[in-house]
Amino acid sequence: MSTGTTPATAPAARTGPGGDSGAGTGALRVWFRDLAMGARFAFTGGRQGWTRTLLTGVGVGLGVALLLISTALPSALAARTDRGDARSWLGSPTAEHPGQDTLLIARAAQSYRGKDIEGVLVEAEGPDAPVPPGLTQVPGPGELAVSPALKRLLDSPDGALLRERLDGRITQTVGDAGLTGPAELLFYSGRSGLRPAVEGFSRVERITAFAYERQTEKLGPVLVLLVVLTFVALLLPVAVFIAAAVRFGGERRDRRLAALRLVGADSRMVRRIAAGEALAGSLAGLVLGAGFFVLARSVVGGFDIQQRSVFPADLDPAPWLAALVAVAVPAAAVGVTLFALRGVVIEPLGVVRTAKPARRRLWWRLLVPLAGLGLLVPLTGRGDDGGEFNRWQVTAGVALLLVGITALLPWLLERLVGRMGGGPVSWQLAVRRLQVNTAGAARLVNGIAVAVAGAIALQMLFSGVEDDYTKDTGQDPGRAAVSILIGDDAQDDLDQLARQVAGYEGITGAVPLRSVQAAHTAPAEDGLIDVTIGSCAALREVALLDSCKDGDAFLATGSDDRARTYGGTAAPGDKLFAGNVRGYEKAVAPVPFTVPAELPRVASRPDPVGALRAGLLLTPSVAPADTGGYGSRQIFVMAEDTDGDGLERARTAAYKASPLSTAMTLAQTKRDAGYSTVRIGLFFGATAVLVLIGTSLLVSQVEQLRERRALLSSLVAFGTPRSTLSLSVLWQTALPVGVGMALAAVFGVGLGVVLMRMAAAPVRIDWGPVAALTGVGAGVVALVTALSLPPLLRMARPDGLRTE
Amino acid sequence: MTHAPAGSLLAATGLHKAYGPTKALDGADFSVHPGEVVAVMGPSGSGKSTLLHCLAGIVPPDSGSVTYAGRELTAMSDAERSALRRTEFGFVFQFGQLVPELTCVENVALPLRLAGVRRKEAEHTALAWMEKLQVEDLAGQRPGEVSGGQGQRVAVARSLVTGPRVLFADEPTGALDSLNGELVMQLLTEAARSTNAAVVLVTHETRVAAWSDREIVVRDGRSRDMERAI
Repeated sequence: MSTGTTPATAPAARTGPGGDSGAGTGALRVWFRDLAMGARFAFTGGRQGWTRTLLTGVGVGLGVALLLISTALPSALAARTDRGDARSWLGSPTAEHPGQDTLLIARAAQSYRGKDIEGVLVEAEGPDAPVPPGLTQVPGPGELAVSPALKRLLDSPDGALLRERLDGRITQTVGDAGLTGPAELLFYSGRSGLRPAVEGFSRVERITAFAYERQTEKLGPVLVLLVVLTFVALLLPVAVFIAAAVRFGGERRDRRLAALRLVGADSRMVRRIAAGEALAGSLAGLVLGAGFFVLARSVVGGFDIQQRSVFPADLDPAPWLAALVAVAVPAAAVGVTLFALRGVVIEPLGVVRTAKPARRRLWWRLLVPLAGLGLLVPLTGRGDDGGEFNRWQVTAGVALLLVGITALLPWLLERLVGRMGGGPVSWQLAVRRLQVNTAGAARLVNGIAVAVAGAIALQMLFSGVEDDYTKDTGQDPGRAAVSILIGDDAQDDLDQLARQVAGYEGITGAVPLRSVQAAHTAPAEDGLIDVTIGSCAALREVALLDSCKDGDAFLATGSDDRARTYGGTAAPGDKLFAGNVRGYEKAVAPVPFTVPAELPRVASRPDPVGALRAGLLLTPSVAPADTGGYGSRQIFVMAEDTDGDGLERARTAAYKASPLSTAMTLAQTKRDAGYSTVRIGLFFGATAVLVLIGTSLLVSQVEQLRERRALLSSLVAFGTPRSTLSLSVLWQTALPVGVGMALAAVFGVGLGVVLMRMAAAPVRIDWGPVAALTGVGAGVVALVTALSLPPLLRMARPDGLRTE
Repeated sequence: MTHAPAGSLLAATGLHKAYGPTKALDGADFSVHPGEVVAVMGPSGSGKSTLLHCLAGIVPPDSGSVTYAGRELTAMSDAERSALRRTEFGFVFQFGQLVPELTCVENVALPLRLAGVRRKEAEHTALAWMEKLQVEDLAGQRPGEVSGGQGQRVAVARSLVTGPRVLFADEPTGALDSLNGELVMQLLTEAARSTNAAVVLVTHETRVAAWSDREIVVRDGRSRDMERAI
């Protein structure tokens, strides 16, 4: 090394102390020269140098890859939305009559074993009918076009029951242009005889083109807050991690730099050289990060979380964001190294001594989070009444508050471990090491503490606003697992279909109900009366009946609201018309019938779907005859097991009866889609960040052990039990982690409270998730410690004393 | 099996040890009596450090016998050998032996603390030994804050603090200038003799070996007793 350093340091001697006395370009040249020399050492320092650069490169690379993925997410989501919009026909131009360019289209979404399947029924009425994106032609009757993921499912043994439902001939595979993601389950089923909408009462549309009018759904202020916080909380630990990664192997490098001092480099020069080494590591990290990103991009198509997947081609970072990463990471590497070396005195003669650190000052460390608080507090209550948040103010405020943890943690750790002494040898070894190197210990924990604090705050905000984004559906899954609404075009007899469904294994009941509108005159515009027709068992699902037998009729009181809406009522003996009472089609005549003489009033009860019915309740023998396809037909299906094959067969039966049937799985609550997406995004990101930080911790631990190999060997040589060394490593990690997690909990709860006030959500602290998240953070560290034990035991062998 | 020489405290016979294809020891013999200082000499790579490591139970030989006070080391478990090193043996190495985060007195007290001695008592004993080695004024300093010679004397104090019966010193003056080296050797041998501890001194310097009672030369993994009396 000496031969390489002498010529480079000679000019420094000529330019005087510091080597950078020249102003302007001279100083720049000196900087460039020293950084370049450091960068060269990073690659020419033999195996150890290479290892260090590689470690830094891998660490930085993981962070860079995560940053690139984050910057690519908005465009990936936009591309997903764009393709979803492109195949939608909401707002497409329609035609009243069949033509060369008309397509009949209807949605026929399915559900199979908990997975949502997007389904579309199509019927081309002419050769120029619009072709859905991703298809080469409109599937003909009996033909199916399926997405690759659906094809795989249909071809697999797991998809056998679904194949019974979608039994058409597969003639096409939907191309990427027609899919929101590679894992999307989608089919287009070619049909004949679809009946287009009559006054909006059918789901079948006649369109001439696919042209979606985007309904710009603006995220509400609270969702904006959640998105901003999610990004800050996830990306900040990555930044902290990168800052730590450029210091991998720092101790050994510091010692090596002493050799440069010996040949004439001054202290500023060696710091710049060290920064040059870190710069090289970060540049290697950029290259590796780009590689990791490309790798992640190539495999991302194979993953889906809760049926959300991304095409590799969509994962394109915005160029300006990628450029920002490419500039910011090396700049941060240089900055962090220079900052970290402030307290290191590198002297000639191979002596490197950590300068007696000045007692850490608290005032400026407090200023950081206080500044963050200062930015956030004025936004209190903005989430109420459709207020707006300044995103930059929120981002800066949250970032400063979280960065405050990294500012306060070394101070707090120094204060706490500074007072510690006594205890067993393992404790003493750990405490003394922490006392000497508080900054290093804090650096290890900073990333995870910031991540945990952010996650706690997010969790609190999510819990706080959950009620606003979770709607009570009014459905009662305890009474029925699925509600099947039979399509208008179904020819099958409803009762027969219900019996068929009830016969499937695992199905405990199937209750059919028909609903139709009636009026005293036809056509009628108002005074309409709801008529519900079914067996006594079926009618008991909608009203409280003391006694019932076929031939009975009842007048359900329903709710006041419903009575006001329809206004119509019926009395015993009234002559009514049912079915096409509004006169939509001339060809279908309304059906006359007479209300039975006995018509007791009964109280309504919500049906399993939550609907409260009013009007006439009729048993089959007193009900009007065939109403010509008017009215609705519904089956409530009860099952032993909501995931069983019986329900899938029931859904298949409904689809066979009419592909326009809908089989709705009943659930008590429904979450807002935007809210769910943000929450899933958080889960995704938090997992990636924890893996990243865990990796960082492990690399740091192993690096530290490598640095201390000789010492560990000599300790074992004079009889130190390995358990003592293992325990000392555990204490050495557990102490800063304990302090870090406590600080993270305080900051996380504090930030959570501020955010909940901003979102105008009632402030309540659920300590369970706080404990769980700090526990997860501590668990990551425990896992890392456990993983670092094998290398520790390998290195802590007396034969490590061998030097030859 | 060859028997250990009569009266020997630590003896080895027919030691073989190979690292991969390289034979470090090829039938080496050794013995040391209580209070005796034996220098193990030889050129770099001759196997002298390996011999020391085998004698101290740090690495097990591939074959051969090592007996300490009549007990066969090669038959002991790792835990038993560790306990032996903790209580009966002391060590001084050339590099990397003082824990940088502990103060000098804490470093010297460390073996006693590992043996279960209370902290205050351990540090009191440690201070006494530091006084013998003339480094008592460094008690509160960390190894990074003292000179190489001072650090080595602290290491010698640590190696003797448990009252070991055998002191192993591997190139103890290798990183020191001659003046400091002489001082360390003088204090080391005096302290060892005062406790009747045997010293196994690995060195390649004749100047250092001159402090011994007897020299053994290791070459190509084989040992040869020079039977040199003072």
